[in-house]
Formats: sequence, structure tokens, C-alpha cells
Amino acid sequence: MTSSPERPSSPDRRGRVTRRGLLKGTAASSAAALGSYRAGAQEAQGGDPSGGETVHVQLTINGASHEFTLDVRTTLLDLVREQMDLTGTKVGCNHGQCGACTVLLDGVRINSCLMLAAAADGRSMTTIEGLGTQDELHPMQSAFIENDGFQCGYCTPGQIMSAVGCVTEGHAGDEAEIREYMSGNLCRCGAYKGITNAVAQARDDTLEWAEAT
Amino acid sequence: MRPFNYQRPANAEEAVAMVDPMGVAGQGGAFLAGGTTIIDLMKLHVVTPPSLTDLGPVGLDEIEEGNDGTLHVGARVTMAKAAEHPAFRDRAPVLSEALWKAASAQLRNVATLGGNVLQRTRCPYFRDNVSPCNKRDPGSGCAAIGGINRLLAVLGTSEQCIANYAGDWANALILFDATVETMSGDGGREIPFADLHVLPEDHPERETVLGDDELITGYRLKIPGWARRSLYVKARDRDSYAFALASAAVALDMDGDTVREARIGLGGVATVPWRAREAEEFLSGQSLTEETAMRAGEIAFDGAQPYEHNAFKVPLGRNAVAKGLLDAASLDLAGEAQQ
Amino acid sequence: MTIGAPINRIDGRLKVTGDARYAADFAVPKPLYGHLVTSTVGLGRITGVDDAAARQVAGVRAVYHHANPLPIEEASAFFGSGGRSQQSWQPFAEPDVRFYGETVALIVAETILAAREAAKLLRFEYAAEDPAAVFQAEGTTAEELPDSALSSGEIDVAMQDAAEVLDVEYDTSPNTHNAMELFATTAQWQGQELTVYVPSQWVEGFQAGLAVELGIPEDNIRVVSPYVGGGFGGKGSLFTWVSLVALASKAQGRPVKLYVTREQGFTVASFRAETRQSFRLGAAEDGRFTGFEHYGRELSSRADTYVVNGAEATARMYHADAVRTGVTCVHADRQTPGFMRSPAETPYFFALESGVDEMARRLNMNPVELRRVNDIDSEPVNGVPYTSRSLMECYDIAGEAFGWGEYDPTIGAFTEGDELIGWGCATAAYPTQMSPCSVRIHFDITGKTKVMVASHDLGTGAYTVLAQAAANALGVPVESVTVELGDTRLPPGTIAGGSVTTASNVSVIEIACASILERLGTSVEAMNPEEAFGNFGQNAIEEYAEWIPPAAGEGAGKSLYNGRVRIVGGAEEKYVAFAFGAEFAEVRVNRFTKEIRVPRLIGAFAAGRIMNEKTARSQYLGGMIWGIGHALLEKTEVDPRTGAVVNDNISEYLVPVNADVPHIEAILVPETDTKVNPAGIKGIGEIGIVGTAAAIANAVHHATGVRVRHLPIRMEDLITA
Repeated sequence: MTSSPERPSSPDRRGRVTRRGLLKGTAASSAAALGSYRAGAQEAQGGDPSGGETVHVQLTINGASHEFTLDVRTTLLDLVREQMDLTGTKVGCNHGQCGACTVLLDGVRINSCLMLAAAADGRSMTTIEGLGTQDELHPMQSAFIENDGFQCGYCTPGQIMSAVGCVTEGHAGDEAEIREYMSGNLCRCGAYKGITNAVAQARDDTLEWAEAT
Repeated sequence: MRPFNYQRPANAEEAVAMVDPMGVAGQGGAFLAGGTTIIDLMKLHVVTPPSLTDLGPVGLDEIEEGNDGTLHVGARVTMAKAAEHPAFRDRAPVLSEALWKAASAQLRNVATLGGNVLQRTRCPYFRDNVSPCNKRDPGSGCAAIGGINRLLAVLGTSEQCIANYAGDWANALILFDATVETMSGDGGREIPFADLHVLPEDHPERETVLGDDELITGYRLKIPGWARRSLYVKARDRDSYAFALASAAVALDMDGDTVREARIGLGGVATVPWRAREAEEFLSGQSLTEETAMRAGEIAFDGAQPYEHNAFKVPLGRNAVAKGLLDAASLDLAGEAQQ
Repeated sequence: MTIGAPINRIDGRLKVTGDARYAADFAVPKPLYGHLVTSTVGLGRITGVDDAAARQVAGVRAVYHHANPLPIEEASAFFGSGGRSQQSWQPFAEPDVRFYGETVALIVAETILAAREAAKLLRFEYAAEDPAAVFQAEGTTAEELPDSALSSGEIDVAMQDAAEVLDVEYDTSPNTHNAMELFATTAQWQGQELTVYVPSQWVEGFQAGLAVELGIPEDNIRVVSPYVGGGFGGKGSLFTWVSLVALASKAQGRPVKLYVTREQGFTVASFRAETRQSFRLGAAEDGRFTGFEHYGRELSSRADTYVVNGAEATARMYHADAVRTGVTCVHADRQTPGFMRSPAETPYFFALESGVDEMARRLNMNPVELRRVNDIDSEPVNGVPYTSRSLMECYDIAGEAFGWGEYDPTIGAFTEGDELIGWGCATAAYPTQMSPCSVRIHFDITGKTKVMVASHDLGTGAYTVLAQAAANALGVPVESVTVELGDTRLPPGTIAGGSVTTASNVSVIEIACASILERLGTSVEAMNPEEAFGNFGQNAIEEYAEWIPPAAGEGAGKSLYNGRVRIVGGAEEKYVAFAFGAEFAEVRVNRFTKEIRVPRLIGAFAAGRIMNEKTARSQYLGGMIWGIGHALLEKTEVDPRTGAVVNDNISEYLVPVNADVPHIEAILVPETDTKVNPAGIKGIGEIGIVGTAAAIANAVHHATGVRVRHLPIRMEDLITA
């Protein structure tokens, strides 16, 4: 993988399909490039053919451009979790039924389990790791802590990404609207009251943050 | 998921030239729009297309209004965008409500209107990839008829299949005599929306009249002025993010308390998007009361075929129609217009 | 004072940034991916395997099944019979299929995509038989469990003396935990040392069970589960696939990482079994209960006897002149059930609290007053007193907040337009239990304190409240305390079950901290680490302590070191200990669609000393929301023809979403209990769900006049042709 500062603009490289096995070890090197972000990043699968056709994909992930050669079946969820060690994005159902895998794609919240990485070629994705850090939390993250908007914490990254999307989409007008538009994120612990309160509390700061970044 | 050939055409013409013929039961090549149905089913191996033709780059994602007031709705407009488009939200709220009450915000942000009307059934025996299912595996039988069929259809069923059509928006779109615009290797055509889906009858594997390489590019529809008096009743177990057990899309043209024209679409209860034309005819010229509303609901379910676990859908659907009619009739449109 | 303070979770930053590592989040070098394959018949025998297509998938390394098994040493015993496992038998040991969705193969491949694909291509041939998978099927066998029955007084006389006798049956449906986290498992060998990352409510039990199954010493096995993505009982006993993953990893010489899919989680793990309950309640005209009879029939697997027997608790809620209970285990062709949030109380209190409401109707009494009339200080079976019982305070406080004073018992009295509105209430209770526990505390001259114990935080707030306990007991700020949990390298802790964690761990932390103070020759009030360590002559101190609940009996301490569980109540012979609560529900039923919504749910709970108001409230609220699901949504639908779970996904197995919870409130009722345990703490993780379903069912009755005696209550129960 190369981390290029610019998005590739040549349309003919988009979606260029390569035959399997041509580009070995690319996933491993993508993980290595992220090693500075997470110590002990896992080495992804080596050069073994995975059976699927491979495709070249460029994605901006949390602000940095990445290029991959991937099995075409790879979803954004599998890509970030299994190949980039960005494990904040959670897998809860793999079928678009729970929202645990919610990320922002070009600023819009989606279920990363149902989006092929190939179909997101050229686009920009933000995962929970790109939202805020432990030292500098996004206001939505702070509000989730303050309002105890989680218990086990497993659905939380998805809830928070969804909450940011909910606010920027303009669907955090009142509590009833927040509840409706946050209903795509299941929380089995039942932290909904804290979640709703957190979204309401962080709404204005989230809009400010979005403008500032 | 089975491996597949991924294709990324630059435009719709290229897409239809590129796509592998679809064949029965969706086992041929397929178009990829939002992917919220097909990726789901590919993971289950319920569909195993040898190729996906990604419509991502092809555009078709605008809602435009012609000089004569005809709306042209691109097939790749997302459910989220359409739900909030003033053409729907302000002029035919049923078309907006049926969208925002469907799925989740995340799914609506990627799912498109072209894909939405082709959403596959949620019949559990279709999805399990094991049970006999004439839709998935023609001739194998139907496990749903004697099974746990609470979610399944009571209208438009056959002895081969009782799988429900699971979507919402189509049940609203069907009210407006919309036209489906398609493109295929042979060129393109226009199909009345009400003719797009076909009843299961003896071939439940066939769900629409679309040809093997035929792509929905958009919809044309004209929204009558009175469609502001419209809404979508969606009866479901929980308050959001659930499929309809019964739904009623209702639009009313009222003259005082008298119905000039009623249009009623049903969801959650039928094998295809369903227009309750007999009920509409019954209401025409009637004054709308709870009694006539309930009668219309009864008429809508004349001939319904209930099964062990879904018999409640007949009274539920009837009541949903009645509720929709009464609620629509009592909408205060003057008040809204002032906003 | 840090005790009770509503401080934010100390693990909050990790959780909101995605940095908290759950089982599937641990990076291991060059992992292979595992994927389970499950049976597609409900009973029978595998007669053939066609694994050619699966093996042909590029990257597949192995396909394990009964004919190509992994060398399990011996199945670890079933938890319900004193072992550690979810069931008494291991997959692959034989070609028999005992239930639909049983693990029949494990695929191991280079990529997650290849493993998933191959799993879908593996074909088994079966000699299938018709399973008896549900109560109504022919071929189940009933096992009465006389040792679990209670009897006191003359029940027949009591019923004859009654002015009213209610004699009804209540049914509850099977439920599936559906924690948001999938059951992921990663195994990694380094020489003879095995590390397993698996979501667990009992790392030591998993370790001990694995040692049996793998035939290696416990010391060679490390089980790591610092963050658990929801447990609810579903991760309390050793899963059958863990040793398979470990053995596959050993055979392949590479770490193996496995995700159990959401669909598979409905059958390869445990569940809450369906019940059929016979309930008979006699009451005098003044409302006092004369006779109480509660019999349960509970479904289990063929091989394992597992019942929750909630009548043990329901029999102890109210006055009764005579009591009789019993339980029958009905063996069927299903997987073995297991604990699920308030395993015993959740189904059985639906019966009890619906029944009390029905009796109130018959007697024309306010249902709160009927409970007041039957309020007691000592339980009626053996006459043993409660350590404390604040039930009626809870009713009064929650009722006040709810506006119960306006209650009009007339059916439909509160109808507004198309909305039929009903109010209902119910008692919540959960026995207070404890377990032997140890801890090691490291304390240094800078004031830094590390609490180490192999207990668990499932989202319960254990990290935070144990830090608060240590801070309080040492006199240091809570910010200086770190807590390590969920790792068998730590001193033995408690199973995260029976709501034992806080009471047991706080009790032992207080002992350890007291020893530290004693050794340092200082006190909480005088705590100055620099000074204290200066006098002490070294810069850090480490203290190990154990706490054995008095009722645990002789030798209970050993359970800390043999991977067994010993959960006990308070001072059991002298006292019975329960936390109590009262819940009030408002339901709205649309008169057309009969959709049932719960716009208001208010509960008040008294559970002794509360360590952290914020996390405690969240526990209660979470339990109450579970109760909404239990009441109105949750049902694992089993096809009687095949035994298959038809709604094996979370699109059709419905749990509440945010929109379902408009107004929910948990009130913390102060309670001091000096008898229950040294810390004065009762468990709170499970009580919130208890009673909710009955409160909602009672409200549905009030709204509509329809008494629904089964769960979930859905629109088809109310709609009429």
C-alpha cells in the first residue's frame, strides 16, 4: 500500500479489476503502515489466494489516503477490522440489522457491513478512531460518557458515529426525533435514555465541530 | 459469499451492456445499487450472482420536475434523500412517510429507490437457504405455508408461495399511477408501476416483468394537488426499524365529508405491492365515517387467504386501512399550509 | 466520599473511542479464520459429508467434523451439574445430531471470506428423524424434580378457606440473549501455553473447563476477557466451540480467530427456555392470601436437566398460609438452556405479578393495596426474616412519581382518542447472592492503586465501582485507582452471574485495604501515601485477600482455586435476602392496529448500599428495557416441524429500539442493610427486568380488558375479527 496525499483522480483506475493473487501482501503492508497508530497491529493474511477476484480500491480513511488490492467481496467492515486493525467499528450482525458497524462515508452514516469496499472506491470514510482521541474527545464522545450512554460499550462506537450523522443530517431536533433517527442502532444493554440525552446535549457542539473540521 | 466478477460501468448504457443475464431466482448477474438487499442475500448464499454491475458511477440520482408538473425520480436517489424531498414531503406525504418509516437511517442513506421496489421478501424460509422454497429453488415446495408464517402474505398468495413483499415505498408509489422507466440492451421502455411486479402463481421465482438485462433508471409520476391529504400507516411490533405486519398507504380527495376519490395501497400483507381498487371504488362518493372506512378495509381483504400464524393480518389490515382513511380525512391541511 | 457518587465510568474513554478491546479485537499474528457449520436437521444422524466444494475454496486449510475430528480429551461437565460447560456433550464426538443448529463442522481458512464461503458450501447428508422440539410435540419426556419443590401449611385447606381462588396458566416464550457482541473466539498457542480471547462472564470456569477438554494443565491456559459486549447470562458457561478453536489452532500452528454468526448464536449458545406455569392463588375477602401454588414446566435438552425454578422466589414474596411449589423439566430436542438475565424471576414473576393483579380485580382492590395487605417481614415457607425489605416504600415512591393516585380501575377509563391507555404495576425482586472472591491490591508511594481480580465488567460498571470501593477504603482519590479484570492471570474473582459481583468484590476489597492500612500503620482519614510509605520503609505494598460469604459453608474458599462456583445467599439460615422494587407502566394501545407501546415506565428499587448512582441507574433502566422486550417483543420462534429457529436474526427477533423507550425512570430508594453482607450491598444487575412484563401485561388489561397470560403480548392477542 502507498499512502498518497492526494486522491487518485484518474477514472480508469477506479474499479480496475485485477485477477486474483497478483498483488500479494498488500493488506499486510497496509496494516504495517498503520503500525504507528496501533502498536501490535495484526499482520493480515499473507499472500494466499482468497478465491475472490481482486480489485484495486482507493479510500480515504480517517483523513489519510490508502490504496488496497482486495478480494472484491471485502466489505468496509471487514477491511477496517481484519486488515487495518481499526477494531473500534464493531460487528454485531453482518446484515444491516444492528448498526454496530456504523461509519461515516463522505460524512453520511452507513452500515459498513453491507458496503463493499470496491463500491466505496474514491470516497472518504471516518471510523470511531478518526472522530476523536482519548486526549481530545469529540463532543459527542464526551456527552456519551457524561450521560452514561452505554454500558457494555460494544454498540457505542456505532451509536456515536450514528449520533454524529443524526445531528449533521438535521434529525436531532427534539428527543422524539432523536429516538426515531437513532433507532437503527440497537443497544442491548438498554442505554437508550443516556444515548438520547447525549445526542441532545452534544448537538450544537457537534455542528460546530463539523464546521471547524 | 461466493466470488463474483465486479464491474463498474461509467453510465447506464454501459451497465446494461455489461450485466450478465439475470436468469431465474436472481442467480444470474445482478446490478448493485445501494446493496442493502443483495449484499445481505449474497452473504447468506441465497443469491449467488456470478457478477455484480455496480451502478455507483451512473448518476440517475436526482428528482426533477418537468414543466407539466411531472416528477422524474432517478432510480439511484436514496431513500433518505427522497424522504426529505419537498416534492414528496409537502405534496404527497405518503411518499415521504413510507420512506422514513422504513429500515434505519443508515440503510436509507444508501438504499436507492430503484432497488427499494425490488427488495426481496423477508420470508424466513426463503432466507434460510435450507427449507423448501419455490422462490429460491423452483419446484422444491413451500415451507412457509405450514410453518411459522406470522410475517407472510394473505393477499396475492398461491399454493406455491406466500412470501410477502417487504418494502414500504412501493405501496405508496402504486397510488399515483407511476411509470417505471427502464433501459436494456434492446433500448428502453416504460412500464406502469402497477404492472412491474407479478403475482407468484406457479412461478414465485419470477417477481417482476423486468428482462434479464433490464435496469430501472427512474420513475415518472404526477402528484395530484389533493395528494397532500395522504399518509402511511405502518403497524409493527416495535415503534421503529421493523417490517410492517400491515400497512396502509392512503390518499384522499375529499369534498367536505364525501370522498371524491380514494387511493389505498397495502403493505406487509401481500405478495406484491398492492392496490386496493375495489375498496377505493366503494368509497368513491361515500361520506367517510368509521363505518364506511371499516367497510373499505373489509373489502380490501375480501378473498384474503390466511394461514395458521397470520390470520390476524386480515382484521389488522382492515383496521389499518380504516385508520389510514380516518386519519387522512382529519388532516388539517389548511393549518399546515400556513407553516 | 466516593461511595455512591455518580462518577463517570473510568473505562468510558476507552469505550467511546473504540479503544476498548473486546474478544474479537485482539490482534494476533497471521491468524487463520474459523467458521462454524451447523446442522440443518433437528434430530438424526450424519450419514455422509461432502466437503469437496468447501475444500476447493482457495485458502481453506481444514474442514473438521465428526469424521475428521479434533482430539477433545473429554467433554467438560454441564454447568448445571457442577461443571463449567453450557452442555454435557461435545460436538463432533459422534455423528448424532441432537437439535437443529448444532455445531457439526469447523472450517479453518486463510481469510474470513474463504472461511465463510466454504462454510456455506459444506454439505452433510442426514438420516433425519422428527424432532420433539417444543412443549406441544409428541415425544418429549417429563422429569419431575421433587427436591426442588416447596411445601408448607395445608394447601387444600387454604384454598377451601379462600373467598376467591385464581387458577390459571401463564406461558412464557423462549428468548435469546442477543448481546450485541458476537461470540467471537481467538486461540493462540505459544509453545505449550494457550491464550484464548473469548467473551466470558467466568474466565476461571472457562479455563478449568478447557483444561479438561484439552487435557492440559490449567496453568497453561490463559483466558482473556477484559471487555464483554454484553453478557446477560449468555457467556456464563464454557462454549462448546472454544476447545475446537484451540485444537484447530494447535493443529495448524497458527492463531485461529472465529466469529460465531448472529444466526448461529441462536442455537450454538444457550437461551432462556419457554415455561408453562400453573398458578393458583387463594385470597380472603380482606385480600390476605391463604394459599399459594406455583408449578413450572420448563423445557431443556434431552441430555441435561436445567430448570430455573422461579417459584423458589415467588413463594417468598407475600403472605400465605400455605405454600406449594414444584417444577418439572421437559426434555426435548433442543440445545441446553442456560442463564438469562434474572433467569428464574423473569418468567415466574410474570405469573406471580399478573396473578396478583388478577386477584386485585376479583377483590375490587387497588393492586398496590393488595400487595400492602400481604406485605411481610418473614418469608412464608420457613418463617425466616428478610435482611431488609423495602417493597412498599418502593411502591409508594414509584407510585407517587407515576401519579398512581389518579388510578381508576375501570377498563379503558383513560382512553384518549384512538389511544386506549392502561396503567399497571408489579413487584420486582431479586435474591441477594454472593460468592467467594479474592483480590490483589498494589498500592504505592505516589498513591497509585491497582485492583486486580478475575471478575468481570459486562457493562455493569464493575471497573468503576471497584475503583470507588478501593479509593474509599484507602482514602485516595478514585482517579488514582486502576482496575484489572477479566483475565485468569489475576487472582480468582466471581462469576458475573447472580448479581454477585459488586457485593462480593467490594467485600474483599475492603478487607484487603484494611490490611494495607494496618500494615502501613495509617487510616483512611490520615492517608498520606508518601508519609505512610516513608514510615513503612518501602515504596509499594501488595496485599492479597479473600472473602468467603458466611453462608458458603466449610471449604468454600477452595472454590476459588478449583474453578467451581459457589453462589450463596446472605446468612441463609437466619435470613433471606432480596432486593426489592416496584414498577409502574403506562401502555397505549391503538384501537385500530392494537399496536402496544409503553410511553411511561417508572421503577423504584431498594438494594442496600449503592456504589455509584449513575451506573446503578443504568443497570436498572437496562433491566426495565429488557422487560419491555420480554413483555412485547422477544420470542425465539421454533418451527415445530424441524426444530429450527425461524427468526434467527435481529431483524425478526425484535429487541427494543430507542424509539420504544420514550420515558423511563429508575428511582433509587435509600436502604441500609447491615445483615446482608459486610458491604451492605445487594445486587442490582438483574432486578430491573423482574416484574416489568407483568406491569405491562396488567396495563394492557387495564387498557383493553384483555388478559393475556402469555409472552410476548402482541397485536394478534388484542385484535378481533
